[in-house]
Amino acid sequence: MNLINRYVTEVGKHLPLVMGREDIERELRSTLEDMLEERAEKEGRAADESMEMELLREYGSPQKVAETYNPHPYLIGPRIFPLFLMVLKITFFGIAAGLSVVTIIQLITEVASMDHDYVKIVLQGFGNIFSACMAASGYVVLTFAIIERFVPDFKIDIEEEKKWDPAILAKEPAPHSVKRGDLIAEIVFTIIGLAFLNWLFRLPIFSDEFLRLVPWIIALCFAEIVLDFYLLRNAVWTSAAYIAKILIETANMAIVFIILRAPEMLGVTVQALSHIPEDSSVEIGKLIDIINVSIWITLIVVLILQAVEIGKAVYGLWRIKRPK
Amino acid sequence: MTNTESLENVVLELRRGVIVLAALSQLGTEQYGYSLLKQLSDQGLEVDQGTLYPLLRRLEAQGLLESVWKLEEARPRRYYIISAEGKKLLPKLKKEWSSIISVMDKILAK
Repeated sequence: MNLINRYVTEVGKHLPLVMGREDIERELRSTLEDMLEERAEKEGRAADESMEMELLREYGSPQKVAETYNPHPYLIGPRIFPLFLMVLKITFFGIAAGLSVVTIIQLITEVASMDHDYVKIVLQGFGNIFSACMAASGYVVLTFAIIERFVPDFKIDIEEEKKWDPAILAKEPAPHSVKRGDLIAEIVFTIIGLAFLNWLFRLPIFSDEFLRLVPWIIALCFAEIVLDFYLLRNAVWTSAAYIAKILIETANMAIVFIILRAPEMLGVTVQALSHIPEDSSVEIGKLIDIINVSIWITLIVVLILQAVEIGKAVYGLWRIKRPK
Repeated sequence: MTNTESLENVVLELRRGVIVLAALSQLGTEQYGYSLLKQLSDQGLEVDQGTLYPLLRRLEAQGLLESVWKLEEARPRRYYIISAEGKKLLPKLKKEWSSIISVMDKILAK
């Protein structure tokens, strides 16, 4: 019986404490002893170690036996997973919103004091959001893992599941339908933007290299307006519209990349601001710093937004093309 | 996955639901796990220990079985018996089983 005892202890090591480990061990020992006794009777001899060994080999590895009592050893099981996801999303959103506000306030106050590296502040802000999200997700996972293991009856019905009614599907827009309001707003703002750019590009602050890009920027704005009118008329996104959107946004991104790779192209210089009187209270050097950092941040934001637009268009195209 | 493995998996799924009904039906009189296993086997239903013991614990947790430890031949054994709740459920399960059989017979006859 020595081997059976050791075997049962091994099985116990793989069982969760809360599942009545001692009870399971007792029952398993009793069963194995019954089986051994029956085997000895059949073979007409006393049970010995080799018989025990044969029985235990047939019964399976301790880990496998323990798994049968806990077949789904989830860290966070399906019972509480929807709640876990909801809490995680709220946590991430809260952290991102809170720390973004902190970073913006820091940027504004540092601009006033004029002796900090703004790019560093923005990058630090992103870094803080990332590390805070990582740390918070660790705590959330740990909390839910403890609930999963030690509170087997815990369950909260998420309101959305209870209230869900198929009637809301009828109110949802069709997957590829266009949002007319968005399109009209985009057309209006693009036209206003074009007029503004037309005025801005006449100011003597841009380099010749940059001015060579201007016709491309204007052409892309017109392409965007043409696509918006087409979508207004068509009412739904088509493969061709998605491809056109991807091409336009890719070209836009290429222009932003060109400017980012050669910041001096757009970078405002002392020469460009030479029309400001020398006895002005404005400190030219610091003003240039602020303008250049603002341009840099704006271009990064534009790049991100364009990447999101391309992602949405690629996803839409994939949904149209995928086999039904 | 080979055809044999697929067959084994499907058969396993089919039997899983049946074992609950088989176990409940046999526990009108109290039995310990191994004796129940042999009783089912004698009637042609082979059940793996790794399936039966966790199932008995689950049914007890659901209130369909009751259990008690008894000392027999110097060996402690856990005896299971159907609970009042289980007794109420069993006829309904039997009826459901009959209905499944008749529906499946019709489906498979076509």
